Formats: sequence, structure tokens, C-alpha cells
Amino acid sequence: MKIKFVDSGFKKATTLIALFVVALTLFLVYDMATNSLPSIQKLGARFLFTSTWDPVKEDFGALPFIYGTIVSSFLALLIATPVSLGIAIYLAELAPQFIRQPLSFLVELLAAIPSVVYGLWGIYGLAPFLRETIQPFLARYLGFLPIFKGEFYGVSMFTAGIILSIMIIPTISSVSREVFLAVPSSQREAALALGATSWEKIRLAVLGYSRSGVLGAVILGLGRAVGETMAVTMVIGNRPEISASLFAPSYTMASVIANEFTEATSNLYISSLIEIGLVLFFVTLLVNIAARVLIWKVTNKVEGGIRE
Amino acid sequence: MKEEIIVSNLNAYFGSVQALKDINISIQEKMVTAIIGPSGCGKSTFIRCINRLHEVVPHAKVSGKILLDGKDIYSAEIDPMDIRRKVGMVFQKPNPFPALSIYDNVAAGLKLNGITKRDHLDEIVEKTLKMAALWDEVKDKLNSSGISLSGGQQQRLCIARALAVKPEVILFDEPASALDPISTAKIEELIADLKKNYTIVIVTHNMQQAARISDYTGFFFLGELVEFSETSNIFTNPKDKKTEDYVTGRFG
Amino acid sequence: MNLFQKRKIVNRLMCSLAFLCAFLALVPLLSIFGYVVSKGITSVNLDFFIHLPKPVGEPGGGMGNAIVGSLILIGLSCLWAIPVGIWGGVYLSEFGNNKLGTVVRFTADVLNGVPSIVIGVFAYTLFVLPMKSFSAISGGFALGIIMIPTIMRTTEEMLILVPRTIREAALALGISQFRTTVSIVLKTALPGIMTGILLAIARIAGETAPLLFTALGNRFWQHGLTQPIAALPLQIFAYAISPFDDWHRQAWAGALVLIVMVFLMSFISRFVIARRYKFLRSR
Repeated sequence: MKIKFVDSGFKKATTLIALFVVALTLFLVYDMATNSLPSIQKLGARFLFTSTWDPVKEDFGALPFIYGTIVSSFLALLIATPVSLGIAIYLAELAPQFIRQPLSFLVELLAAIPSVVYGLWGIYGLAPFLRETIQPFLARYLGFLPIFKGEFYGVSMFTAGIILSIMIIPTISSVSREVFLAVPSSQREAALALGATSWEKIRLAVLGYSRSGVLGAVILGLGRAVGETMAVTMVIGNRPEISASLFAPSYTMASVIANEFTEATSNLYISSLIEIGLVLFFVTLLVNIAARVLIWKVTNKVEGGIRE
Repeated sequence: MKEEIIVSNLNAYFGSVQALKDINISIQEKMVTAIIGPSGCGKSTFIRCINRLHEVVPHAKVSGKILLDGKDIYSAEIDPMDIRRKVGMVFQKPNPFPALSIYDNVAAGLKLNGITKRDHLDEIVEKTLKMAALWDEVKDKLNSSGISLSGGQQQRLCIARALAVKPEVILFDEPASALDPISTAKIEELIADLKKNYTIVIVTHNMQQAARISDYTGFFFLGELVEFSETSNIFTNPKDKKTEDYVTGRFG
Repeated sequence: MNLFQKRKIVNRLMCSLAFLCAFLALVPLLSIFGYVVSKGITSVNLDFFIHLPKPVGEPGGGMGNAIVGSLILIGLSCLWAIPVGIWGGVYLSEFGNNKLGTVVRFTADVLNGVPSIVIGVFAYTLFVLPMKSFSAISGGFALGIIMIPTIMRTTEEMLILVPRTIREAALALGISQFRTTVSIVLKTALPGIMTGILLAIARIAGETAPLLFTALGNRFWQHGLTQPIAALPLQIFAYAISPFDDWHRQAWAGALVLIVMVFLMSFISRFVIARRYKFLRSR
């Protein structure tokens, strides 16, 4: 009898703790929402579409940060996706056995580097390099394009995009690699049996089969990029202006909160920042759910086979 | 009668484990040769050496010669790609490409070989699906996914896919072991029909199947070719005691 | 050139491209390492570890308080996150095969994906506002939230790997489920769980964003948990964006110490613990 008592207590206790985690998360949302109320009530929906950010006049519009987040993240995806896929393909399909472990370990190391260290390197290593080498090259040959116009001082959307891409490469490549490894070997053999080359085999059997999984990996990377704070804050310039040029400084949702939260004096100011945090939360939530659904589809797929 | 495939001194390894020991065998053109034997005897390894699929496994090795139409497929100048196009394979579990439609599955090998003109593809797809006895069942849904079919249909789809690239030899690795009796019968009918134009080697653990559809049979045991002869001889008058024990069901 | 040759050339090209990408990824890794080591190694000395920061403009000083501060914060967060994470994981593996379990897992995943700056804001409203002060406690709370999903997931995965028969053998001897889980199952899975915990610690050791307005930072030794507290990543950040060269030098030193700390923890968890108990790893 005593055992039953102990065990039901055990079950109740652990359930309570699990529920605590759920409650904590729900409370986070509730708390953020409540604290955003002042600015939601005062500024309404146009908060998301206005580009003025004037703490003195108490006029707040989140558009520059939404723009900055979107552009920097997509620039990061543009660069990181092909490179990550290349890495995943190499590690899952082409690399000789003795290289796989050490190389994948090294790629994972990129993920272990703290964001603030990326930022430090970004300011004093990457930005000067871009300023001296890459930017003049781009300005000379592609300067007619609006995205490459204008002065470049190192801190910019461009630098932020590049640093973000490096930071999300481990995410996209490791998830893609897992997805590739989930492709049954009979698929690869079917392609080889038709006389395919290694690349054709990868294209036909691996990439085709894992399409949605790869998309999920990319979206997961997007989620990481959107929420990244320190490295971006340190290299993006923190200027709430929307500019067509990638060389101009910019500002993201995460950065403005990091930069201005402790300086925020008025209630409306703080509330606006918290509202930006709320938006950030929902964006990452949606992106991560979409990613998980897509990845789950591939890793749980029933192999082409008997269905009768 | 021509000998299409001549295997001499074939040895195959998985790392340090020897899976095939000194195999010597000749496969007759446009006949069905069955390879039988208990689990683990090397039957699948053997046919995978014929289309050079064995060497794809990490640490796998092959030594010996296999002459296809007089040329050694393992000679240094030959690209395995080429051999695999000439020697088609149908696998134990149907494995159509799920991301491709029925049409595209059949056309997959063709597109690799540079055939992209729509009407040409249409023609070959229809022809091979008819050869695989699948056309009538799928002609109205060529664009649906390759895995939307039943197991037996998927296997016939895989056969059509293999036929499309016009191989000279078709290898079947226990093609019906995962299928129900009706689908199995359809596939056996198909093989009997295909042998008019293709050389066929079929691995099977089902002795009755071997007796039904093959002209020649080879009995493998523990990596060695124990006996090879016309099917009727193997089953009614086997020379080796091990062969006799196997076909009479004393072990399996 | 015929089709055959063209296909082989394309094959060569694409495979080389993939190879290139893999090694391209190593370039930033080597660059970051190179910078941090070359710029930081000369500044990492005993002074760095035991001294306080000097006032603005004065050269010298160290990050002793930041290192201690980080250790305090890690200790605080572990204090509450490890029990919650482990028992939450126990719930999921032993009782969580139902709708509630799915909800809990989903929530843990959601929590895992919340940007750390948002978690910082949450901790601010929960602790800093009512306490009317920045504090180590609020920082420990924020970092703990980040740790929980990782610890829960790892605990659940490791517990599931322990074969059902072990549990059944214990229960058949008349031992309560509580005792079975704690003394037998958890103990068996402990190395794997420790791996998860170490990885979680490695992650929060480098976190800056959630500390920006909870721990805030402090130029002196800690005098209590309800006061603002220094932390290594915070100090690195403050020095990095400052206009002083001497502070930049110290930022690199701090970055070196931080990276070594984080890598050591990842290394230990991944290779030493996990390898010793290879049979429990799902990979």
C-alpha cells in the first residue's frame, strides 16, 4: 500500500513539474503581451508599418527593424543554404569514412562559438577584411546595382548577413545531413542501377526524396538567424533607417531591444520594445513550427513499398 | 546458344569476410538462370557483382573476371556507370522514387541518358509499361506519385524503369519475396515473357519458383557454387549431395 | 564531346563543389580561432584572472569578477534548471505517452526556439521590475529557462534508451516505480544525462543577450545575489564596443578564456562521458 502511495505521489510530482514548464511558457507569452499593451493601445497596428523611431518625440514605428531582420536573415540564407547543402552532401554521400567524424566535428564547433565572440571577430576581423577586399571589388564591378551603392564603413547589413550565414551553417548542414542519412539505401541503389553518376545518384535518390526535410532545415536556420542578437548588434551599425543598399547600416528587432532596453526611459518606449520582442517571439514560433513539420515528414516517411 | 556472361574466378569480400569463393559460371543468352541457396550463401552478392553494385558498399572488394559480351566488366578502362546501364536490376523491395511521378520514374534512366524529347519519351514510357504489364492500370494516372501504387504494381513499375534504358541483361534479386501470391504470379508471367528479348538472372529463395520459371539453375552454398545445370537436372537429378539435400528440403 | 563524357565532367564538378563547401566552412573557424588566440594569448595571465577592471583609460586590470560572476550565474541557473529539466524529462519518458506529454514536448521545443533576448525581457519583467534592481537572481532565472529544454530532451532520450526489461525486473522484485526510476533507471542513464547538462551549460556560458538587462554587469566583486553581477560575455561585449584599445585587448583575452571554457565542456561531454557509455548513445 505504501508503494502505491509513493508512486502516485511520484507521478503527481513529475507531472506537476512538466506542467510548470508549460505554465512558464504560457506565462512568458502572457507577460510579454501584457507589457506590450501600452504601446499596442497607443500606436495600434500601424506600429508595424511605420518607419519613424523617435524616442524623444515618443513616436515609435517598428518597420526599420522588421525590414532589417528580414533582409539580414534572407541574405544569410542565400549564402548559407548552398554552402550547407554542399557540406551535408559531402559528409553524407561523398567523404571517405576517416574524414567524416573529424570534419563534422569541426563544423559543429562553429555552432559552439558564443555569439559575442562572433561579434568581436566581426568588428575587428571580418569588417575590415570586407572593407578592404570584398567591398571595393563589389563596388567596382557591381556598383551600378542599388544594393551595392554607397559608402561602406564596415558595419552594415552586408557584414551582418555574412556573419549570420556563418552562424547558421552548422544548423542547416547538420539537420540536412540527418535527413540525407534517413534516405534508404535502396533508393541510391535504384539510381545506380540505372547507370547514374555519383552526382546524378545524389540528385535523383537523395535530394528528391528529402526535399521537404531540406526545406525544413533551411527554415530552422532562418529561425536561428531571426533570433540572433549579439553578433548582429555588434556589426550591423544600429541605425533605424531603411536603405536599399546592403552597405548601409541597419537595425534588427533583436538588436534594438539589446541596445536600447536599458536606456528606455518612458513607459511607451519600454512597451514598444517589449512589443517588438513579442513580434519576434511569434515570428520565431511560426518559423520553428513550420520547420519541424517539414523535417518530421521526411524522417518518418514510409518507404516506397508494400501498401496493400 | 551464346554465352552472354562468363564469370571466372570471382571472389568477393566484405572487408575481411569472404562472401564468394572462386565462382566460375556461364550465363546463357536470352535464358532465365535462377540462383538458389540458403540465406547467407552469397546469391545476392553474386548478382551484385554482375552490375558492379557490390563495390559500392564500404570496404567491399572484388577479384576475378566477368566477361559481358566478351569484355571484362572489371577492366580498368570500363566505367561502372556503363555496365550498370547495360545490366539492369530489380530489387527485393520495390523502390520507385517517391518524389517522381509514375511517368518520371520510368523516364528517369532515359533522361540521364540524354533523351529529353517529349514524344520520344512518351513512346518509350508507354512501350515499357506495356511490357511490364502495367500500362492499362496506370495509363490514366501517369502523373500521380510513384508510391501511390500497390506493392505489386510498384514492383512492375520498377521493372518498367529498368527496361526503359534498354539493358541487355536484367538481374532480379528476389523480386517477389515481398509480394502477395497474385502479384508474384504476375511477375513470374512477366519474366517468362521478358526472356524472349533479355538475358535474365533471378535470385530466389523459393525453389518452386526457380523450378517454374528458369531454364538453368545454380545452387550456392556458403559462398561457393556447388552445382550449375539445366533446371530439370538440378531438381530431378542433382549430382551433389548438398544440392539434393537442399532441393528436397532437408535444410533451408 | 559525347553525353557520357559530359556527364562525367558534371559529376566531377559537382562533387568538387561539395568538397569545397565543406572546407570553406573551416575558413571562418580558423580565422576566428586565429584572431582570438593571437590577440588574446598575451593578455591571459594571472592578472587577468584575479584583478578587477581598472577605471576608464587606465591600462591593466583584469576580468576576475566577470569570471567569478559567470560561475555564480551558471551555479544559480543550474540550481533550478537541472531539477526541473531532469524531472520533466522523467515525466516525459515514464508517464508522457499521451496527449499531455505531446503538449509538454511541444512546449519544450517552443521554449528552445525563443530568442534569448526575449527570455531576457521576460526575466526583466518577472524579477528586475518587482525587485527594482538588476540582480544575479534574475540572470540565473533567464539562463535557467534556456537550459531547461535541452536537459529535458536529453533526459527523456537517455531514459528511453534504458531497456524496459530493467524496469520490469525491478518492479517484479517489489520495488516501487519511484525507487526503480531514481535508483536504477536514472542511475543507468546518468552519463548521458550529464552529457546533456554539460552541453546546456556550455550553451549558457556564452550567452550575453539575456544578461543585458538582468545581470547588467558590475565592475566590482560580487556582494550579494540581489545586486547586478558581472559576467564574462557581458564584459567582452562592453569592452569590444568601447573606444579603448586596452579594453579591446582584454576583450580578446576574455574571448579566449570563454572559448576555451565552452570548447572544453563540449569536448568533455561529447567524447569522454558519451564514449565511455557508448551503448547508451542513440547515434
